[in-house]
Amino acid sequence: MLLHDTTRRYQSALAGYCRSGQLEPIPGIHNEHISHYRRLVYNVVDDMLQNAYPLTHALLGATEWKNLVNEFFTHHPCQSPQVWYMPKEFYQYLVTVKHPLLEKYPFLEELLCFEWAEVELFMMEDRREKPAATYSLETDKLVINPEHQLFSFQYPVHLKPAHDITTADKGNYFLAAHRNTAGTVIFTDLSPALAIILSLLEEAPATIDELLETLEKDYGIVSSANDRQAMHLFFKSALTQELIIF
Amino acid sequence: MVGIGYRKDFAEAFLQSSTLQPAFIEVAPENWIGVGGFWNKKFREALEKYPLFTHGLSLSIGSPDELDFAFLKKLKQFLASTGALVYSEHLSYAKCDNAHLYDLLPIPFTSDAVAHVSERIKTVQDLLERKMAIEIVSYYSPVAPELSEIDFINAILEAADCDLLLDVNNVYVNSFNHRYDAKAFIDQLPMERVRYIHMAGHEQVSDTLIIDTHGEAIIDPVYELFDYTMRKLGRDVPVLLERDFNIPELEELQEEINRLNTIKTAALKQPSYVTA
Repeated sequence: MLLHDTTRRYQSALAGYCRSGQLEPIPGIHNEHISHYRRLVYNVVDDMLQNAYPLTHALLGATEWKNLVNEFFTHHPCQSPQVWYMPKEFYQYLVTVKHPLLEKYPFLEELLCFEWAEVELFMMEDRREKPAATYSLETDKLVINPEHQLFSFQYPVHLKPAHDITTADKGNYFLAAHRNTAGTVIFTDLSPALAIILSLLEEAPATIDELLETLEKDYGIVSSANDRQAMHLFFKSALTQELIIF
Repeated sequence: MVGIGYRKDFAEAFLQSSTLQPAFIEVAPENWIGVGGFWNKKFREALEKYPLFTHGLSLSIGSPDELDFAFLKKLKQFLASTGALVYSEHLSYAKCDNAHLYDLLPIPFTSDAVAHVSERIKTVQDLLERKMAIEIVSYYSPVAPELSEIDFINAILEAADCDLLLDVNNVYVNSFNHRYDAKAFIDQLPMERVRYIHMAGHEQVSDTLIIDTHGEAIIDPVYELFDYTMRKLGRDVPVLLERDFNIPELEELQEEINRLNTIKTAALKQPSYVTA
């Protein structure tokens, strides 16, 4: 080991101070200036979190937010070398420690999930291949855009301002989010049947007829002529929006 | 050649106009590795037009923690896939006790740190199969120093046999914050190792402290130190204009690039300063 324990300890003390604000004695430091490290490090983390979670930031009071960011950064060792990815760890931290704020705001976990989904989908690596030149909505197998995520929420975090959500809003909300060619993240509300259908497409590409057959056979959902027409319209729109590709 | 730090804040305007004409662009690999969609398109557009230099943020070469070999593997792929001409990093640490800090902390100026950091630079150079350029960082407080800053830096450069990224603004900032002569400091650097130069603005926050913000225009004394450095260097090296915050109109950035080019060209026509 080339690094002496004392050097290691002083480095740890400075890093610990930046994370927690608690300064252990370090020889030779400039006491008046060292606080700028804590300020600069904290600002980077706080800015990234505010950018990733603007709705959560708006929901929590200034003190609540500041305490939460402090708590997270003090107690959670951030693992990602890429700062843009760090906010995911913030969301995971709250869930892992079963943070009291998740009880105070029963929809907070879903709100964080919803906000992070937009960041992650916007930034994620390209996964799409070139689409087929010609295709038929009637006969070809539909492929779900690989740059997507499906959600099942208990609260309408995607529909209402967070401040207005109450326990009376509790229900079942299904949502798809995907990235189109321009790079825009698009959210689509789903009925329960469409949520099942898209989850089937996550497993394997299928034609509309095959999907309806599975829906009937495995879920006991029999589609009327109107349902079939509605489904065709949905997929036509989903194709335009690039939630579905060929 | 004078380049510009490619920032998302002005990427679209930059690519859509000819106002800003750098010779190359520089990015932090951490901000682009594994990124797709809109920003990947914009990055690829920029790569079609400009050579790429890179300047890392998270390698944490001065950390007491182990090197992140998974990250290094991704970094190597990124450097290869983008055809990056230079890979540089900060002589600092940004991770400790298994936690990333996302900022640059000063390494204690000690002999054991020299040995530790030099070995790590050599390991990284071996893994990446290229030399890296190490940047002298600005710092606001020494940490348990046993050596002078210049002795610490020179010992690492020598032991690691790596290149030097000379950030002239950082030397100015450090000379102000720690009360030394910036030109005398530059005189003591091994100029043959200078591969690359950074220039930037800063913010003076008190009578005794400057913070290296990259959020202001370069000030005249830093241009003057750049002129001195170029004369001392006596050869052409790539120069980068860094601007990370408070981004002005592109015309203003181009004016700074023009001024850097003018100073460099004039300095290289003059004989070097004679130093004692």
